[in-house]
Amino acid sequence: MTTDDTAAAPTVHAIDEIVAKPGEGKALLDDYLARYAPGARARGMVLEQILVSPPMWLDDQSNTLVFRWSLAGAGAWWQMRFVGGNDPDVAAWWADADARAVSRRRYFASDPADVERHCDV
Amino acid sequence: MYKLTRLVTLTDSASVSALADEIRVLAAAHSAYRQLVAPTHAGSHFGGDLLAHFSFDAEVQCSDFDAALAPLLATPAVASVDGVSYQSGSGGRSDPGLANGVYRVLLLSVDEGTDPALVAHFEAETRMMPHYITAIRNWQLSRADDAIGARRWTHVWEQEYADAGGLMGPYMMHPYHWARIDRWFDPECPDRIVDARLCHSFCAMEASVL
Repeated sequence: MTTDDTAAAPTVHAIDEIVAKPGEGKALLDDYLARYAPGARARGMVLEQILVSPPMWLDDQSNTLVFRWSLAGAGAWWQMRFVGGNDPDVAAWWADADARAVSRRRYFASDPADVERHCDV
Repeated sequence: MYKLTRLVTLTDSASVSALADEIRVLAAAHSAYRQLVAPTHAGSHFGGDLLAHFSFDAEVQCSDFDAALAPLLATPAVASVDGVSYQSGSGGRSDPGLANGVYRVLLLSVDEGTDPALVAHFEAETRMMPHYITAIRNWQLSRADDAIGARRWTHVWEQEYADAGGLMGPYMMHPYHWARIDRWFDPECPDRIVDARLCHSFCAMEASVL
């Protein structure tokens, strides 16, 4: 456990990085926000940032979409994980998104200053 | 070492003690090298009411015991059984003398057809959990030879802790678990290779069985 139990749990960042199929970037972004984001918010995720690379919509090449979410600590992460991992609508969304993507990554990160607290369990 | 694990769900959990006694006697008669037969702790998930775990020196002893045990687990008192038989995989023991601790087993099923290199990668990362999460005192990761129950269980991930707090706290909350290993299990992650149905079962143990 942390040495200061009164302190807020260190923030966890969940990052989705999706390389869209050529010409699919804008539509995939719109669908992510319409179909995935509301449920994610209900699972405690806060959408902090969206990035599009390159910063233009390509019709013959791939755009890369990056979504950075935050969660209020590892406990909130597990809550998100248990609910999302058992929701067939979430699974259906990712199956659809993967069919429209060249590749996808999801990873979890923190501010370097929070590493020690994350590991102090 | 040849091992057998059965997670037994009963139609009436009040009969746990009587069934456990019968199984212990049977295991002793079959010269089990080690045995752990105990009611599961609350918080187990698809982990049964009774956890029964046995080690034998020889494969034939293990299979003979399996055959003798089967009728005991085929009565109307038993609602379902998940289980595996397996040869001990790689493991480690930082506290071989651990007493009055907690034994935990996870049965998992890797998708059929998964690239063997990915399976090896998953196994290698899992074997590193005790390096980062020191609450794991003793451990073993094995591939199942035979499986029964809700899934075609492919792997057996066993750990021992000083107490349940080690499992519920450090094991669950360390970032090596949720930010590294869990992607193999998470349906939202493209790296997922493990079926969402798991058997997570833990119980009290008097002495280490790993």
